[in-house]
Parts: sequence; structure tokens; C-alpha cells
Amino acid sequence: MTKFMLNGQEVTSIAKANERLLDVLRNEFRITGVKCGCKEGECGACSVILDGRLVNSCMAAMGSIEGSAVITIEGYRETERFAVLDKAYASVSAVQCGFCIPGMILASECILVKNPDPTEADIRDGISGNLCRCTGYNAIVKAIGIAAKEGEGLW
Amino acid sequence: MENISKSVTKKDHESKVSGRALYVDDQVMDDMLFGRLLHSAKARARIVNIILPEVLEGYFIVDKNDVTGVNRVQIVLDDTPVYAEDIVEYVGEPILMVVGPEFKEVERILNEIVVVYEEQVPVLDMLKSDTVFFNYKYAKGDIENALKEADRVFIETFQTGYQEQAYLETQGIIAYPHDGRMTVRGSMQCPYYVKGAVSKALGYEDQGVQIISDATGGGFGGKEAFPSILACQTAVAAKKANKPVKVIFDRREDMEFTSKRHPSISTYKVAIKDNEITGIDIDVIFNSGAYTTLSSVVLQRGLICASGVYRIDNLRVTGRAVKTNTVPCGAYRGFGAPQTVFAVEMVMDHIAKEMGLDSLELKENYMVKQGDATSTSGKYHFHVPLPEMIQQIDELTDYRAKRKLYKNQTGRYRKGIGLSMFFHGCGFTGSGERDHIKAVAKIRKNADDTVDILVSNTDMGQGLKTTFSKIVADTLGISYDQVSYNNPDTDQVPDSGPTVASRSVMTVGELLKRASERLKKEWKTGAEQVIEEHFVEPDFIIPFNIDEFRGDAYPTYSWSVNAIEVEVDTLTATTKVLGAWGIYDVGVPIDTNIILGQMQGGFLQGIGYASMEQMDYNDQGKIRNNSLSDYSIPTAVDVPKLVTKIINNPYTHGPYGAKGAGELPLVGAAPAYVEAMENALGVNLNKAPFTTEDTMKALLGVLK
Amino acid sequence: MVNSYQATSLKEALDFRAKEAVTPYAGGTDLMIKADENATYLFLNKVPEMKNIIEDAEYIRIGAACTFTDILESKLTPAILKEAVSHIAAPAIRNLGTVGGNICNGSPKADSALIFLATDSKLRLVSSRGERVIPITEFYLGRKKTALQADELLVEILMNRTGLSNYYYKKVGARNALAIARVSFAAILHLEDGKIVNCMTAFGAVSDVIIRRADIDGMLIGKTIAEAKAVKEDYLAAYDQAIVPIRGRISAEYRKAVCMNLLGDFLESNGI
Repeated sequence: MTKFMLNGQEVTSIAKANERLLDVLRNEFRITGVKCGCKEGECGACSVILDGRLVNSCMAAMGSIEGSAVITIEGYRETERFAVLDKAYASVSAVQCGFCIPGMILASECILVKNPDPTEADIRDGISGNLCRCTGYNAIVKAIGIAAKEGEGLW
Repeated sequence: MENISKSVTKKDHESKVSGRALYVDDQVMDDMLFGRLLHSAKARARIVNIILPEVLEGYFIVDKNDVTGVNRVQIVLDDTPVYAEDIVEYVGEPILMVVGPEFKEVERILNEIVVVYEEQVPVLDMLKSDTVFFNYKYAKGDIENALKEADRVFIETFQTGYQEQAYLETQGIIAYPHDGRMTVRGSMQCPYYVKGAVSKALGYEDQGVQIISDATGGGFGGKEAFPSILACQTAVAAKKANKPVKVIFDRREDMEFTSKRHPSISTYKVAIKDNEITGIDIDVIFNSGAYTTLSSVVLQRGLICASGVYRIDNLRVTGRAVKTNTVPCGAYRGFGAPQTVFAVEMVMDHIAKEMGLDSLELKENYMVKQGDATSTSGKYHFHVPLPEMIQQIDELTDYRAKRKLYKNQTGRYRKGIGLSMFFHGCGFTGSGERDHIKAVAKIRKNADDTVDILVSNTDMGQGLKTTFSKIVADTLGISYDQVSYNNPDTDQVPDSGPTVASRSVMTVGELLKRASERLKKEWKTGAEQVIEEHFVEPDFIIPFNIDEFRGDAYPTYSWSVNAIEVEVDTLTATTKVLGAWGIYDVGVPIDTNIILGQMQGGFLQGIGYASMEQMDYNDQGKIRNNSLSDYSIPTAVDVPKLVTKIINNPYTHGPYGAKGAGELPLVGAAPAYVEAMENALGVNLNKAPFTTEDTMKALLGVLK
Repeated sequence: MVNSYQATSLKEALDFRAKEAVTPYAGGTDLMIKADENATYLFLNKVPEMKNIIEDAEYIRIGAACTFTDILESKLTPAILKEAVSHIAAPAIRNLGTVGGNICNGSPKADSALIFLATDSKLRLVSSRGERVIPITEFYLGRKKTALQADELLVEILMNRTGLSNYYYKKVGARNALAIARVSFAAILHLEDGKIVNCMTAFGAVSDVIIRRADIDGMLIGKTIAEAKAVKEDYLAAYDQAIVPIRGRISAEYRKAVCMNLLGDFLESNGI
């Protein structure tokens, strides 16, 4: 049994401590915005924000997140910051197949929290663990830069 | 640029950015069972016995005996089994499926099954194959004479390796029986291909099968034919269990056992007389893997492109797709062209060096122009923009100056720049569109004056929901928001053909434009109206004879020039891509951001193909690079400077001037990269990928 | 049946460790790749005594459950460690993965372990029986075999406070992020009054264990740059003999060439 905060709400998972947070989110809590791309921490499709940090939920065993706070796209999409990123990504058509996107959005948030005025190199480093096969990354990088400008004061 | 090119918010942006879009693994159904395949562990063997453990009530083992129709998957020819029979032909061949309500129990049962094999000697090396699946040959002019009269004949062989699509969403299918029918949904590019295959495997009539495409997380060709195989397997399982069955491949399973780009070996014999290229004799081998699947068509396109963008009057091209006991290769963006375009670009580069010219100098002398004959004695009916694209790229990159500057470097860091020029034939090869696909597109105006697009092409990220909607809205003169395009459901939409061959916007988009033009004339406010359009082959096309490879293989071509600049660290043999520039002619972009996104994504895939994406087999026929940690695709920090530009060259027979765009950007990246490596290292190279280890070998050879 | 323990203090962790065969889990980024359903994990990520980074008179003391991100964000951690850690995988992995896991995993490809070896760091191993501090050079016994006893936990890594600023580091992977090292090399050359007072090198990802040959490095200690130059050939020859890359997916020839190139460059960049 693990008690943790999920998108601002306290929840209890009945999953065993060894189970992956990714599987628990998807199967027990029906959080489908967290995607499974590899289950080895190599692609970032399963990214969530855990206690304020970007992590691959496939790498986190339930026993390690007791009392922690987890944010997924389902929670994040209600925020003002998301609205800025949403608009920025839309303006450059950065979403292609979309599978990497929830992870990219959360990675974007973490980049801007750390540095509200990031350089392109900062941005690329911040999404270096989120693989995208469709876009070649340029549009996503541009979108995050636009969000940084447009979202002045939010981060 | 036309007004239509102005970018809009994509139709699927909101659902995907919010995480609400449902991909197949996000779908759940009541009573749903999970399925996992048991894959052959041997590259070639006879199955002597399968020892099954006891299975609990509600768990099933599904195999060839459960196939109620024909145990073959319809993909061009029909040699791929749904479930293996007595012989397995590659590591990964599906033998059976375990199905049940608890995923962990399904896996446990799977791990307890013992397959007893009588091993045979597998053929893993394509040069040692004893079975030729397909054998083609075409020629024009008099190559024999050219070779005979030549001052010298330049001979060289080139190799290209596997490429794995590595779409972020792995293969997945759900099949569920209901009311005597079978519905199959999942990640796919071609719902009607899947429909045909599943109907045949189940032995159902046409109306007995419904196929729905879910949001598809990338395809790149990897979901053109493969989903038909998984769909048949899953449908057979669902029929046996009489419940919904979901099968989702895990990443390692997907990387090891699904279709990839054909490895190739191409030999070019170039006749040179009086310092002119007078003829080329080309021989190509593609490694088909264990079954035919799409190899015939991939090979055809590879052979048609084998002389590249050059005007070669005396030409012979022979090619074979051979069988090996390895995973069957299939469609991947470019579809045979990246292999032969690599070879022809490199051979031109090497001949140039022999002649004391820079590669661009030589290539410019042979570039085709409008009006010239194609390799298959068709015609380049439209303007060929290569000269202006070369000019642009030289201005952007200082290519010509840098080529000279980078010769003969010493020092730890060595730079190089390379250039490639190439085309991609738009649409299905030859008369396939007219004779086999016979695309039908429909639009339906609803009573509330919204319009639904009814076609079977899937938006796998390339933006069809948006571009199709823009074409219809703009033609009708209504708001973009009034037009919808839902995920294709074969119960609702006609067969507008597969989402392949860079045909969707050019061919289906054109049908939607014509349907919209008719609807506009016949528009009745408040009434429901359905307009249907059928494909008509453009009248300028010189008919293509597939047996002789003669005529217009494609109605038109998209063109590109790439330049890539590298810096090699001679201490570690690692290469930094300092810049990658691509200029593209894809006709008028239906949406500028969407087209640029396609160019950037394809270009980066091509750079991966040239450099870090390496996949090979061990001597047991098992793929070694079966994870994303072992098969490296580019991250956001690998090619930070990727520049793409589109030129203005409208195609008169495409909607709003558009033509094929999806595959072009991948096709020619590899020779640009490898040419750059040659420039940096000062040696001739003939393989892709050209990896870090290859670079070290070259350095040690050079420095010795 | 309990299949995991969550420790909230070091004492609690050590008691669990002494009682049962548990698998210590700090960040999980190695363990979760091939997740063992039947393992009994001992979750250490919330043990406060293992999460400090402090400085005392002699050492910088790094808690074993500190994540790579903790290392990067601390003002106390030395530059050479920061540089190596910044090349690990990607941000999400760095936010979870720990130096303790990286060391105890026993892989010769471990990025931070390379640095701890190259800087002659010490490990504080604690059990409910007591504790011991050993040089990390005594920790690795063979491929994926460490000197960690069944009831011990690695609690802290002790790095020297001084003498680490003149360093050389290079990681060679398949790409610029999310890359496992094919060859990695770290070296320190500490000079005082024109004399080499310390030379430490380590080669990762080439052998069963990280290669650390203090005896060969000793050839340069006590010498001036000019004197070191005089023995350069012998020094390189000694390493040429000592570095025998094991066969792997990446060829031994490649790895050997890179090792010798980097070693040579390290010397040359110091005027040797």
C-alpha cells in the first residue's frame, strides 16, 4: 500500500512496492496521459514530475514514492503555465504523432522552473531524455523558447 | 507561397498536448484479455513439439490450429503465416499466443512453454542466400556498347544497413468479436490492408470485419504491413476466446521482431570515355528476410532510383530481393530509395575524385532537367529545381569553399562538408494507383452544414487531419472549424488507399479537393449531402509497364539538396554534426509548419541512418541491438543545428500545387553525411551507417 | 509476506539489512531496468543520513543516496565530479539515480565511480556491527563484484577537499545524451612548486573493473614537468601493457586506441 499525492489529491495505491509507478498510474488510476515507450528509462514518454523533479515513472518503484507528490499531464493541464505552453506548441505545430508530447510538456515545465529564461542549449539539455522520432526537435525547442518569452512572470 | 500554406492550429493538437488522445494501449474494454506472442528462438528449425503447461480456466493458447480462414497474412503475396506451421524461418517468428485476463499470469504461462526445435542451418548472410524472392531487370540505351567502348570502367560496391523505425508508440492491436463480426482497432497506417488480411485469416466476408485506426504514435512505414500480421493473430485469438483481446508489443519485442529497412549491397560499374560518364551498369541486392512481405515493391523503387538525379543514357539495372533467415524487412520512409541513392551519390563522388574534380562539379554536369528521360524512359515532365537549390545551399553553407578548405587537414579536429542531391518519386510506383488502389474519397455535408471527411488515410503525426481539412475548407470557402476528419473506421469510410508512398496529400488530397469543388456547386444549406470522387490518372503520364520497367514510374518527383558539415575528433573518432542544411521542393506546402516539421523529422532520421543507427545479428540470427539503449536514435542534443528551407515550385496536378513530401527528407541525408566524413578523413567511404568505430578504423589506416 | 522495506533512518535501514537478504534501492535507475518481481527492496531514498553533502576538515562527504542532480546543485562537490555527472543519461535519470547505486552496481561503465576512483576517494561502509572506511580502490573485486558485505550499506563517499582542480575528463558514448560510456577517462595532475605531488588516472568501460593503476601513475609523482617528460615513453608503455580491453559490442581495438589517445592528450595538455 502506498499513500501519495496524485495531481494534488491524496490517493492510496494497493499495488506492491516493487511495481512501477508507470504501471500503477496507467492501470490502477487510469492515468493514460503517461505513456509507455520502453520501460527502461531510455525514452521519456513516461515522464512525470515527482516532488518537483522530472523522472521516468517506469524507473520508480512504488515503495520509493511513499508520501511523495506526483504530477502528470492530467493535473498539469489545468494550470496557467500549461496554457502558455499549449499555445506555444500550437503556434509552431510542434505536436506530430503526440506520443512524446505529455512527457515533453512536463520536461518543458521543469526547464522553465529551473530557468525562466533558458538558452537554446539549456532547452535542448532539458529535453535530452525525451526522445522524439517525428519532429527532429526543432519545433519543440522553439515552442519552449516562445513559452519562456510569453510566460514572463509565470515561472 | 499560396495562402493555404499559412499555418493553422492542428486539428489534433489539443487532444494530444493535453494527454487526452487515446492510443490503442489507452483503450480498455469490459472482459478484455491480454495476449502475448511466443516468438521462435531459432533462426531456422522444425518445430518437433510444443510442451504446454496447465492453464487456468479463462486462459487460452492460440496457434495455427485456431485459424478459421487461411493461415496466411495477405501482404502483396501470401507467404507470411499467421501462426507458424512446422518450420520457423527467423528468430522471432510467432508460434503461438497466450491469452488471459491477468497480464502477469499470461507472462508466467508464456515462460513455462517449452518448444522443442530440430535446428537447421540458417542462412544469415544475404550474399550466401539460396532463394531469390524477386528478380528484376531493366535497361535503356546500349550499356554493353558503352562498357566495351569505355576508356575505363570504374567498379565499386556500397553497403547499407538495417534501420529500425523506432516510432515512440510500439505496435498494438485490440480485436473484439461482436454480433458475428470482428472489430480490430489499433496503431496502423492502412486500415483497409488490415481489413483484407483479417477477413482472409478468419474466413469472413467483407462485411464481417471492421477496422478502426486509433491515434497512431508514429509509423514511418513500420505500420504499413506489420499491423496486418498482428491483427490476424489477435483476431484469431479473440475469436477463439470470444472476448476482446489486446496485444501491445514491448519495446524489445518491437525492435527485434518487426519489419525494418532492407539492408543492401549495390555494385556500380561506370563506363568512362573521354572523361565522360557514358553508361552505368548497376546490380542491387536487398536482404528481404524470411518472407516476401513488401520486398517486391521496395526493390522496385530502389531500382528505379538507382541512377539518382543523373541523366544516364546507357543504363542497366538488375536487382534481387533474397531470402535470409532473419526478420522480414518492409517499408520504411524512402522505401528502397535511401539505399540506392546512397550508392549513386557516393559513386559519383568517388569518380569525381578520380577525375580530379570536386563531387559537385561532376554531379552538376549530369543533373537531369525538365524534358529529360527518366531511368525507365519516362519523362521529367516538370521543372527540376536542382540548380537553384544548389545555389541556395552554397550560399547558406559556403559549401564549395569549405570543400576545398577541408582537404588535407592535420590536427586533432578535422572538419568536413558533404552534399547530396536526390528526388523522391511521388505516389505509388507505376500504375498501382490506377490498377490496384483505385482510391475513393468521400465528403459528407451534414444538416448543420459541418463537413466530414471520409477517407481511410491515418494521421500518424504527419498532419493529415489538418491538411485534408484545410483543403476541404478552403475549397468550399467555409471555416476550418466546420470541417472534421475522425480516425478512420472502415464501416464509415471508403478505401482511399494506404497511407504510404507520399501519396496522401497529393492523391487523396486532390480527390478531396475535387469532391469539395463539386459540393460547392451543389451545396444545399440544411441538407445532408455526400460527394464521392474516384481516382483518375493524370493524362500526361506515359503508362508504366512493370514487366519492362518502362514509362513514367511516378507522375512527378519531389527534389532536395542536403549539405552536412561535421567535425571529427581524431582522439575519440567521434563526430559532431556542426550543421545540417536541407532545401526541399515538395510543391506548395498545404501548411508551412507541418511541412517544415516533416522535413526536420525526416532529415534527422536520415542523419541517424548515416551515423549512429546500427543494427546487426549475432551468428544465431538474433538481433543484438534490441533496446533503445543499444540502438541509438538522435536526441535533442545531437544535431542542434538543423536547417530546412522550402522552395516555391508548384505541382500543377496536385491540390493547391502540393506533391509528395513525407519520405523525401530522409532519402538523401546519408550520402551528404558520409561525403562529409570523407572530406574530413581524406579517404573514400562506401557504407552507411558510418559509425564511430568505422571512423577509428579509417583514422588508424590513414595515420599509420 | 512483506516484499519491501522503507527506511526512514539509517538505524532502521541497517536493522532491515542485518535481518534479511534485501536489495538496497536508492534511486532505482539500474534496478528497475530488469525489475525483479521477487526481490525484497530496501528503499533508502528517504534516509536523511544518506542524503547530506557536507564538508569537514579533511573531506567532502557525499551521502550515498544523493542523486546526480543533488551533486550538480551542491556548491561543495568538486568540478571533476560535476562534469562527469552532467554527462550521465538525461535529466530525468539524474533526478533519480544516486552515486551510491552507481558505485555499488559494480559496473565498469559507472560514470561517477570513475571519478571517485580517479580521486582516491574513500567509502564509509556501515552495518549494525559498526563501520569501516576503505579506499574505493579496495572496493572492486571483479566484474560486478564488490567488497560490500551482506549486512552493510554504503553510507557516504569521502572525497579529498583539495588537489582536484587540475583535471581531465572525457566520456565517449554513442551520442551526446542517454549514452552509456564506451570509454571514459578521468585524470588529476596536482602540481605544487613546479613538482607533481599527485597523478591519478582511471579508465572506465574498457575492462571488467575500472582500471586504476596507482603504481604506474606513481612514475610521475615527485617529478617536475621536464622530468616527467623524460619518462613519458615508459609511462605510456606501461599503460599500453596494462590496458587490455575486454571483448564487447564495441571492439577492443577501438577502445584501446581511444584510451591511449586520451592518456596522451592528458599528458600533452599539461606540457608533458
